[in-house]
This record gives sequence, structure tokens and C-alpha cells, in this order.
Amino acid sequence: MNEISILMHMLSNKTNLYQIGATKRDILHTLNVKNKNKSGYFQNLITNLSKYIEPLGLQIRYNPINSHWFISYDSDISDLISANPFDNKPRLAATLFCTLVICLKNHEGISPITEIEKIRKKKNILEDLKELEQKGYLEIEKDLNSIKLTPLIGYQLDIEKLFVKLALKIKE
Amino acid sequence: MIVNDITEVLNNRIRDIQKKILSGKVNLLDLELVPLFDELKDSLTVHNLEKSSETYKNACFLLNKKFDELRSMLSSLESEKQFLNYLNSNPSDLELYNLLNECWRKIFTIDAISLDFLELSQIRLGIDRGGPITIKHLHKAKIKDKFLLEIPKHKFTEKMMKFYNSILKKLPCSLEDIFEDYTEQEIIYENFVYLLHLLQLGKIKYLKETNVIYL
Repeated sequence: MNEISILMHMLSNKTNLYQIGATKRDILHTLNVKNKNKSGYFQNLITNLSKYIEPLGLQIRYNPINSHWFISYDSDISDLISANPFDNKPRLAATLFCTLVICLKNHEGISPITEIEKIRKKKNILEDLKELEQKGYLEIEKDLNSIKLTPLIGYQLDIEKLFVKLALKIKE
Repeated sequence: MIVNDITEVLNNRIRDIQKKILSGKVNLLDLELVPLFDELKDSLTVHNLEKSSETYKNACFLLNKKFDELRSMLSSLESEKQFLNYLNSNPSDLELYNLLNECWRKIFTIDAISLDFLELSQIRLGIDRGGPITIKHLHKAKIKDKFLLEIPKHKFTEKMMKFYNSILKKLPCSLEDIFEDYTEQEIIYENFVYLLHLLQLGKIKYLKETNVIYL
């Protein structure tokens, strides 16, 4: 048992639907790292584990919503269709897309539902949002006025890649 | 040499790309660099390491430039505003759905692992460790003569019981009678110690008034 094994365990550990992997602070605390150059040590750990698991078709990822590091299958070799939770549901995916853009624009990932309605330009948005809540992507506040993203979307979706794709699309 | 020719061809191509970029004929963001790196990788042999590393450096320069272009493009977009403008342009559900495609990923978790074992390992790994152990040499005490630590051949109890058995037939008798057979002071002292222990243990008794040892 060494640091790499412990790190592998921490990054592949699923506490619940919204908490998979571990934060940098958790990892350094568990490994009892007290060096001055903690960040450099952490970077080395992540790089080394990444080299180990790459031949297995695995990659280390970061969830910007809850600052957790975790492991995902390499997108080049994994079945993207099965990874897509909105297969044949473009309407729901589009509502999630709009919600994501609005939430990430606002602080703390909270967004008024009226703002999503305004940009989505569709009726019965609340139904979509309720379905997204059932799937675990967001929480609707009791007063039905606003929603908050859960960390789940940060795990399942490569947000950075999405925004680069969006930026390139706009450039077209 | 053919090998050198390949790296030279690649170098020429890189130079050509750089010229086209400077003249504005080519946009780096539209340029695919992967084939260039693939060719470079395939041409690599132990004989052309030096020349290939130079080509690799030139190719990396282009790659860095491309990253810079992408970064500046993203920042120039004022992303949030641009994204909102895009969404306000009323894109279809399918268009947004397709944008999300290829961005999904499958999470890897291990559920069947022994958490108890791993958590115990975590605790072990987390224990504070002191520095490496240093071995200090002991100071030798100066003695005039040779010092020998003599270890008795038998255990104390065994020797005491042997002495006890040897005096049983004599009892009751006076203290002097017990030691009458011994001449050496050292042995008398040793046996006297056994006698004291036997008295303490209650195996024998001593009457001070008559100076008699009895059972």
C-alpha cells in the first residue's frame, strides 16, 4: 500500500450521488503531507497516478462545482452514447444547457427560474426542471423561484470542453 | 540520409506554416497539428534524436502559439455575454443537444474494494514518523582490572531447593550444625542466603531462644 494506491481509492470512492472522489485538501490531509511545497507534491501525485491509469483507459478529472478530483473513463474509448443521460431527450438536454449557462454566470450556482425561462423561451420549463431535479442535477427551492445546481453535472459533463465547443460554435 | 531528409521535410513544413501565419494566409486555430506530431513520432529513431528534438521544439512552438490563439479568442469572446447572446438567438433543442454530445463522461468508481483494509492502510500511512534512527556509541567506563560478569549456572530457586533437600535430614538442628560441613566462606555465605529465603518462605522455622532450625 503506497500513496498511489490510497489516491486511487480516494478518487474512485463514491460517498453518494453528489460526492465522488476527494478534494485536494482531503488528499493532502489523508496522506499526511506537511511539506512546504504541498501543491507541487499534489501535482506530482496526480501526474503519477494519471500515468498509471492511462493504459487502462482511465483519466483523472476535476469537478469545478464541488472542487473534487475523481476518475472517469477516457472519452475516446468509452461508450459516449451510454454515458449520455439524455439520449433521445433533446428538450431536457437543452433546458439543462440553459440552466448550466445561467447558473455558472451567477454566483454560487443559484439561478432564478424566471431567468432560465427568459432564455429558454419555452413553456412549462418548471416541468423540465422538476424532471432534472429527479435525475439529481439540480434542486428547486421551496418557493419555486430559484434553482441550485448539484455537483452531479460537474462529474458527468466536461464543462470546460463544452464551453470551448460553444466558443468555437460562436466563432463560426 | 533518408531519416535526416524526413526531419528536414518536417522542418521545412513548419517554416512554411510560420510564414503563412505571419502573412495571414493561415489561421492557427484552423490548422490541424496532430498529423505533424504523428509524422515526427514515426520518424524518430536512435540515429536522428538530435535533429528530431530540434524539429519537435519547432512543432511545440506552433502548438504553444495555437494555445495562445485559443486563449485569446476565448477571452475576447467575453464568454458569458457571448453565450447568453447565442442562447438568445433561439438555437434549436437538437443544436444544444448536439453541443452537449461528446462532452459526457462516464465516472469510474470502485464499489467492491475493501474499505476497511484501505482505511486501515490510510491510518498507518498517516502516522507521524520521526526522523531516521541514529545509533549512538556508548561511552566505555574505564576500569582498572578485567571485568567479568559471572552468570550462575543454575537458577536461584533450583539451587535453593537443592540446599533445602540437603539439610532436611539434619532438621531439627542448630544453625552451626547446618554449616559444619562447609569450609569455604563463599559457599557458607551463599547457603546462608538460601537459608534466609527458606525462612521467609516458611519452609523452615528458626527459634531464636534455642538457636534451632526446624520444620
